Amino acid sequence: MLPLRSVCGGIWRAAVHTVRTSRGAPPYRLLSSTCDGAPAALADADTIFALSSGHGRCGVAVVRVSGPASATALRCMAGFTQRLPPPRTALLRSITDPRSTEVLDRGLVLWFPAPRSFSGEDSVEFHIHGGPAVITAVLQALGSVPGLRPAEAGEFTRRAFQAGKLGLTEVEGLGDLIHAETEAQRRQALRQMSGELGRLYQDWSDRLKRCLAHVEAFIDFSEDELIEDGVLNRVDVSVRDLQAEIERHLKDERRGERLRGGVQVVIAGATNAGKSSLLNKLCQRPAAIVSPIAGTTRDVVETALDLGGFPVLLSDTAGLRDSSDLVEREGVRRALERVEQADLTLVVVDSAHLPSEVDRAAAFLREHLSSVIRISRCLLVLNKADLLPEKQRQKLDMELRGVSGLPAVCLISCQTNEGLKDFLTVLHSSVKTLCGDPLFGAPTLTQARHRAHLQRCAAALAQYQRYRDTDLALAAEGVRVAVTSLGRITGRVGAEEILDIIFKDFCIGK
Amino acid sequence: MNQLILICNKWQDYFPITDRFQPLSSWLLCFDFFGCVDWMGHQYDVIVVGGGHAGTEAAAAAARVGAETLLITQKIHTIGALSCNPSLGGVGKGQLVKEVDALDGLCGRAGDWAGIHFSILNRRKGPAVWGPRAQLDRQRYRDFIQSELLSTPRLTVLEGSVEELLVTEPNPEEPGHHRVTGIRLGTQSVVLTTGTFLSGSLFVGQTTSPGGRIGDAPSSPGLSHTLRERLGLRTGRLRTGTPPRIVKDSVDLSLAKLHLPDSHPTPFSFLNTHTHCKPEEQLPCYLTFTTPGVERVVRESLQLNCHIQQDTKGPRYCPSIESRVLRFPGRSHQVWLEPEGVTSDLLYPQGLSMTMPPDIQLRLIREIPPMRRAEIHTPGYGVQYDFVCPTQLSPALQVKSTQGLFLAGQINGTTGYEEAAAQGLWAGANAARWALSMPTVTLSRTESYIGVLIDDLVSRGVTEPYRMFTSRAEFRTSLRPDNADLRLTPKGFEEVGCVSSVRYQESLRVRNSLQDALTALQALFLSTSSWKKKLPSVPISETKSTLLTGLDLLQYNDVTFEMLASAFPESLSSYMEFAQRLKIEAVYKPHCDLNKKEIERIQREENMSLPQDIDYFSLPVSLSDEVREILDRVRPSTLGAATRLEGITPAAVVNLLNYVRVTEKKKETHRNQRHQEAQRDEELCANSASLPQ
Repeated sequence: MLPLRSVCGGIWRAAVHTVRTSRGAPPYRLLSSTCDGAPAALADADTIFALSSGHGRCGVAVVRVSGPASATALRCMAGFTQRLPPPRTALLRSITDPRSTEVLDRGLVLWFPAPRSFSGEDSVEFHIHGGPAVITAVLQALGSVPGLRPAEAGEFTRRAFQAGKLGLTEVEGLGDLIHAETEAQRRQALRQMSGELGRLYQDWSDRLKRCLAHVEAFIDFSEDELIEDGVLNRVDVSVRDLQAEIERHLKDERRGERLRGGVQVVIAGATNAGKSSLLNKLCQRPAAIVSPIAGTTRDVVETALDLGGFPVLLSDTAGLRDSSDLVEREGVRRALERVEQADLTLVVVDSAHLPSEVDRAAAFLREHLSSVIRISRCLLVLNKADLLPEKQRQKLDMELRGVSGLPAVCLISCQTNEGLKDFLTVLHSSVKTLCGDPLFGAPTLTQARHRAHLQRCAAALAQYQRYRDTDLALAAEGVRVAVTSLGRITGRVGAEEILDIIFKDFCIGK
Repeated sequence: MNQLILICNKWQDYFPITDRFQPLSSWLLCFDFFGCVDWMGHQYDVIVVGGGHAGTEAAAAAARVGAETLLITQKIHTIGALSCNPSLGGVGKGQLVKEVDALDGLCGRAGDWAGIHFSILNRRKGPAVWGPRAQLDRQRYRDFIQSELLSTPRLTVLEGSVEELLVTEPNPEEPGHHRVTGIRLGTQSVVLTTGTFLSGSLFVGQTTSPGGRIGDAPSSPGLSHTLRERLGLRTGRLRTGTPPRIVKDSVDLSLAKLHLPDSHPTPFSFLNTHTHCKPEEQLPCYLTFTTPGVERVVRESLQLNCHIQQDTKGPRYCPSIESRVLRFPGRSHQVWLEPEGVTSDLLYPQGLSMTMPPDIQLRLIREIPPMRRAEIHTPGYGVQYDFVCPTQLSPALQVKSTQGLFLAGQINGTTGYEEAAAQGLWAGANAARWALSMPTVTLSRTESYIGVLIDDLVSRGVTEPYRMFTSRAEFRTSLRPDNADLRLTPKGFEEVGCVSSVRYQESLRVRNSLQDALTALQALFLSTSSWKKKLPSVPISETKSTLLTGLDLLQYNDVTFEMLASAFPESLSSYMEFAQRLKIEAVYKPHCDLNKKEIERIQREENMSLPQDIDYFSLPVSLSDEVREILDRVRPSTLGAATRLEGITPAAVVNLLNYVRVTEKKKETHRNQRHQEAQRDEELCANSASLPQ
């Protein structure tokens, strides 16, 4: 049993330590000593935060914080200077930005001291208003609290499991949830990476990797090899430039390209299936040119929609077919890229192309789906239903209802508006489900995450400058941290990749 | 229960115990083994095949752990031979030597005994990447290793070649899973360290001949056959090479640049305070450069050089002179001329590994100014050999599908003495533990370069000969050469059993002294102005916070421990022997503290082991086929290893949690932790009103 005083003292010190730099340093302990028996494992983890509710039209958003610095976040954002609130009790507080002390929102806060919380660690929940501006502000404020960083996908769950808070059966269900979560984040990342912002990050990442490779080459090989000192001078210049660019970027309020909010719905399918007609129907204006000529749409046409209160970004794409036309080929490439980034794809099929025997329709559609595109989440839209005889239409409708291996199928006609109402209901409920998914494609959260990683990246580059002349191992550590931080946005960078650059750029021969 | 048969054949002449070796309780035997059933009634726990760097460390480690051990090698007098370069250590490799020494291995002490030119590479680049290195006297190195082995209790050395490895029929319940058995030589585990000898072939010019090293036959084809056909292990082929040896007297060294060793040689071993070679007796190295003539000779002789035309993977970082000039033409490349020993009249031209016909080798080296009239003693040659894809091994270096079979060294696709020694030690210690029915042990990549090496091998595999670089270690600033003893010696004694109690006691003394010294430094808590009075020469800025500890001061570039000790002799002077280590600890402390979080996260995941018999294709969870395929191919042994695999998503990791087995010990600490936390929670609630502000 631990003495009471030391337990409370320990917590207090940890909290203060992260707010100001404490001088009351704990007794020194060698990192490498293996007799280090203190059960510090959980207490020393990072503190993470994330938006736990969905986005779109919601009244209340829940932001969760978990980890040892949760109490710090509570103290400096909800004004608990004297004492922490009673555990597990909702209190109405003003939520302020710890940097500017500006009031961001008024909302409920809850304090869950360890171990009685979802993750088994100290946790805090902020229940705030659901608008994107408020959420962004609160997430960015949390990011500025020392010791806090945005959660990685699945991190809350893993912590809960490690603390023994989840049974194995519960984990299984959560695995699926996190799969969806990471998929959504991956799509979000893809969207950004294909834009201007993505090109910027990729360029930084490439330059940083090269810097790291050159520093590592200098460390691992220069004694025996012909690696001139000039290598390091070039790295100095690159690191200085990169640091300045990243810091400028962080200061720029507009931060380049605006992130597009909303559910990304993409219309795709073969040429002349009526994709553009569907777009025009959905947005109730002739946004895209329609003609009976196959291959009319060549570029991506985008329209923002409000679908029963949920923001939707609808894109019409070029019809998928092999073409020798250079422009059309580029259109098809863009179409496929869009589908890859989409949250929901509407695959449009010309009903006239269906086999006349109704019982073969399901197999035909399955094959069509797999041959056209590989999509996880989609709706099948059978257009030009008016061209089918009434009897076949009814049989089809029966036949395709709830067939396994097929997504929901809607039989419509953009010409006669037939089936359009039912289709809208199906689409609306799909979009609603997507928006209810926590973390799903929320641009505010991605922004907060990017910002945190970029800040860490810039700080790490400063470490390079600080140690460049006294300890190259510590300087290189700075560049490594910078590469990993940026790698969390652009994709992982492994030791092998760095070695590849080394061997490409230098003749290493022992 | 688990036994292994080795059929040994073609034993050389009976070799009597000689006066020179004076074995204590060990045996030096050489005799016709074929047909000898249960030789002398002796039972061995571990049999090590091969007497190179991996084999010798493996045999010695197994014996230290307490296993009756037999080392079988083709020729006793080549045990401990340096087949290629006469040097040990370097950047990254030096760290491995220090770690092998911290685990009571041989190569560090052997290096201190045989070294004739010591230098610490990267001296100006920070202590974390210092590379202790030594040129060695080949003969002295061999002598040291041989006499160490022969005086190791429980270790017997046999001369001969292993014909075949016999294993049980696979268990019908687990198809493809064998276990090694034995009748003639009862044993529990076998460590194979075949080096370049497994289906080895030598290349000079257009001639190819079977062999593992010049003058030595390859290992028996039966052995590769068993591994491939019987055990179904995936194997691959790699190549390497060695330069010609040059007659020293025929080289005009005045035309090369003299390179002197450190004036104060630093020993590798934590047990040694000085090296065998006196500082002033060290020999120099020489540096010279290739000329355009070298490139011309290489290009002209390409069609005569079949090794270089093969597409077998060679090391990118230790390439032959052929690949160097072909990949980077028009440049002048470095060639180091290194001594082979105190009495040797040969030079080793590092950087000139080549496989062209001998007459062209002579033409080539004579294109380099100091060697205009040089003579070649032994021509350079290339070697191609089989390796076993190391992803088929567990982190204990045991073949997953064959109980009791361990592999170490080049057979796992690595290159280099140090890499081999590190694996040998770990495989030997585990083979012994397996044989003695103790659980096998693993080293984390967060605590050692050996852990990085083994984790890279078993979880990623190799595509070219694997060499250690400091850049492979994520926690380089924590895994320093200076603290290898603190990191590994206690573990080696307490958990592995491969460390002697003498070394253990010494490491405890060092650790306690360092901790006391650091506490004493922290206890010096003075204002900036007092520090200025104490250390007038140090520029301490007034704007800094008003109170600084001795530890803070020691982090300043121009403050040494000696300066602090002379200012505060009463509290610090007793720690003078650790002056350098304390300075390093102080500078690295903030960075190690930052590393610590990440290290603990990884260690938690490494404590979650994944069963080896999961059928990843039929797991009823949502994993993509791609992820299932990766998991099935690599079969990571822990959640941590799975997380590091390319293509594994966070969702996959969470799904795997379902199948995780948290080790017993961890469960225990976990329970304690939760208990304490529950208590803390209650107390916190009860005392929240009295929290200090």
